[in-house]
Amino acid sequence: MTALVKIDAVEKRFGDFVAVRCMNLSIDQGEFVAIMGPSGCGKTTTLRILAGLEQPTSGKILIGGRVMNDVSAHQRDTPMVWQSLALFPFLNVRENVEFGLKMRRVAVQERSRRAIDWLERMEIADLAGRMVDTLSGGQRQRVALARALVTEPQLLLLDEPLSALDAHLVIRMQGVLNRLQRELGITFIYVTHSQSEAFAMADRVVIMNNGGIAQVGSPRDIYRTPANRFVAEFVGRNNILTGNATVGGIDTAVGLVKTTHSVTTGSAVTLVIAADQIAISRKPAPGAVETKLISEEFVGSVVTLFLEAGDGTEFKVQLQERALAELDIHSGGSFHLTWPDNIAHILPISPS
Amino acid sequence: MNRFALAFRLPIIVWQILFFLGPLIFMVAMSFFLVKNYRMVEAFELKNWVKMMTRGYVWDSYWLTLALATLTTVAASLAAFPAAFYLAFRTSESLRRWVIFLLIIPFFTSYLVRTFSWYVILAESGVINGILGWLGLGPYIMLNTMFGTIVGYLTLTLPLVVILQTVSLANIDMRLVQAAQNLGCSSARTLWTVILPLSRTGLMIAALFCFILAFGDFVAPYYLGGSKPPTLPILIIDTTKSGQQWPRAAVVAVMMMVTLFAIAFTTIVLAYRKRTSK
Amino acid sequence: MSTWILRIWLGLVLLFVFMPIIFSVVFSFNSDRFPTIPLGHFTLHWYQTIWADPDVWTAARNSVIVSLSTCVLATMLGFCTAYTDYRYNFRLKGAYLALILLPPTIPLIILALAMLAWLSKIGASGQLWSIIIAHTVLTAPFAMAIIRLRLNQIDQDLEAAGWNLGASEWVALRAVVLPFCRPAIVSALCLTAAISFDEFAVAWYVGGLNKTIPVLILEIVQGNIDPQVNSIGSFVFLTSMTLVVLAQLLVFNRVMWRSA
Repeated sequence: MTALVKIDAVEKRFGDFVAVRCMNLSIDQGEFVAIMGPSGCGKTTTLRILAGLEQPTSGKILIGGRVMNDVSAHQRDTPMVWQSLALFPFLNVRENVEFGLKMRRVAVQERSRRAIDWLERMEIADLAGRMVDTLSGGQRQRVALARALVTEPQLLLLDEPLSALDAHLVIRMQGVLNRLQRELGITFIYVTHSQSEAFAMADRVVIMNNGGIAQVGSPRDIYRTPANRFVAEFVGRNNILTGNATVGGIDTAVGLVKTTHSVTTGSAVTLVIAADQIAISRKPAPGAVETKLISEEFVGSVVTLFLEAGDGTEFKVQLQERALAELDIHSGGSFHLTWPDNIAHILPISPS
Repeated sequence: MNRFALAFRLPIIVWQILFFLGPLIFMVAMSFFLVKNYRMVEAFELKNWVKMMTRGYVWDSYWLTLALATLTTVAASLAAFPAAFYLAFRTSESLRRWVIFLLIIPFFTSYLVRTFSWYVILAESGVINGILGWLGLGPYIMLNTMFGTIVGYLTLTLPLVVILQTVSLANIDMRLVQAAQNLGCSSARTLWTVILPLSRTGLMIAALFCFILAFGDFVAPYYLGGSKPPTLPILIIDTTKSGQQWPRAAVVAVMMMVTLFAIAFTTIVLAYRKRTSK
Repeated sequence: MSTWILRIWLGLVLLFVFMPIIFSVVFSFNSDRFPTIPLGHFTLHWYQTIWADPDVWTAARNSVIVSLSTCVLATMLGFCTAYTDYRYNFRLKGAYLALILLPPTIPLIILALAMLAWLSKIGASGQLWSIIIAHTVLTAPFAMAIIRLRLNQIDQDLEAAGWNLGASEWVALRAVVLPFCRPAIVSALCLTAAISFDEFAVAWYVGGLNKTIPVLILEIVQGNIDPQVNSIGSFVFLTSMTLVVLAQLLVFNRVMWRSA
């Protein structure tokens, strides 16, 4: 595989504010990459730099091996699906889809045919004559996709395209996007703040923070082996403990935690334990952490329990709702938490 | 800056400097020119200024214009407020839009024709005195009086003042008004302690526009007020049209501009003062 | 109950505002040279008089030329300024905007004197196009305001979406921004034409011997009481109102958005 997009030491400043700092990233042909991070982390700026809507302050952008820094936005073939969709309200659906072809001076007949083709592909051919402001959110989404893809680009940029949709539509559109990307075999760069979207669709996830890359990896890597504290916290549902490595394990505020990882004795370490890997029980067990229940949160059939150990350390435990009955959580008393030794993931020395 | 951006900015700047700033600056310069044998001579003399500033009739005109415009501003503000209050708080959105549309109509009817119409309505044997005559009253003399002038000024300014007041009242956050009433504030006190302070900026800007319009209008005082003594705009016309004394007219114009600038500046400072200090 | 008082008050305000307009239309069909109550009989005499008057025809032709040219120029100026204000930030932007927006705050008679003096100085006074220049300066701010309000509603990404799909800045302006602003541009054309069509002070000063309709009215009124004024006025009113209603329809009626 060859790298289609190469971001080479790119930096972007707006006055004193550094939006993107010294970013290096290489994206392969046909890859689905999600860029994720909190708002203001520089993910959208990165996308706009790729589209030529912002000029990098320093560094180089290469697409298909060609340096793009001096190529203006309209000369790049990097269509984008916008967060606001940015459909043209004064054009109907077909005219919206035709726009990119019209700019490329494709003949009238040809562009109409290709637009209709794409509308059929997106299953909205019957809406061709409608004005965009009469469409539903899901339909508009499909128009935006058709408009961006009609020119058959090598690369599609997506800026939080699903953020305005209802939850059930998001799941459906994720399916549509995944299918499209596989069928077309082109590269998708997908900016989002939503973990579930990124993890559900992407081959690779880029986590950004403060303008820099915090971690790049497969969704599973990021979830199970976060590279640093920021990623561990951002991914959520992780319990983070700090302590000192001793001979038998790691000495933390809640006692000695065993680990199969090798650590240098005496060094300070940060441990990450995924919330869905913790076993919770009413019965005390050797090495278990004794906690009290603070609150619980239901999302669908998954329950997250928030617990507190004697010294005030907080724990999150995630389990299926049907496992809840035997715990009898509302009768008070203590809960005992255990986890397998090989689960506690040790973060590299984090520069916090 | 690229060519695209420049193409939008530069022609406009050149045009406005040539045809807006240029004329105004030239007029100020002209107030120092001289007139010899009915021809204007470019010079830098204080003669016109000395002459105009020492003439009693110029100052009579000045104070009269100031007084008439002030009186009109007060009258228009007071007359407009209940109407604007009704439109802002006591009626539907659609009716409000319709009335505002109605109030825009006068801006596009000839002000001259409306003034001429008032002239006939207010005349000693006109429509109003005709009606009053049936009731055994009058006739009252309304033309060539201050009353006539102010009727004319109000014709020009009242629609605008109602519109601007309505907009500023309608922009008040209704929750604040409801909160005040919820806390036991009577309607009258709500008006004084909540509505007026909140809409002050808009009301003052409306008054300022009213003042500027009345101060600069020559039609009402000329045709309905009889122009005795003339207001400043009439003075400008008389000096340019009959006397060919453009420099002296320019002196009057500069006096007006300075006055307007001072009043506008003060009003704007007062209108926005509290907002910035808090 | 107090609502009733307010309602009556609003009624009185509207009565005051519309009385001269209504009476001028009524007087234009009234036989008396100096109308009073009771009115004289119905007549078309005053309309026949102006129909037969070549001066009125010349003035009407001048007015049409001036207001059409003005509305096109002023709307172009207004669009450029509104777009610049919408899209760019730069040093001295405040001064730039003041340069465009201030003319309506200066009394017309002062502007008239200043324009007359300056245009005479540069040899551009006394022509029909002198009035066009002056009216463009005077009305451009209104066009700017209307178009700027429309640009407030544009999705910031819309123009960028045009570039992203292969339109250069100029092409995107034509293919995205202009169609989006179309209703506002048509409104601006109508309103600036209407203002220009009614303006008399500046036109009177800088137009020399070229009289527009309002200047003609001004000169008739200066002479004596002549109900011709009412019939010309009614005619002017009809023209302006058509323009204003057209402008209003285009602002509020979204059906008209549709591009051809």
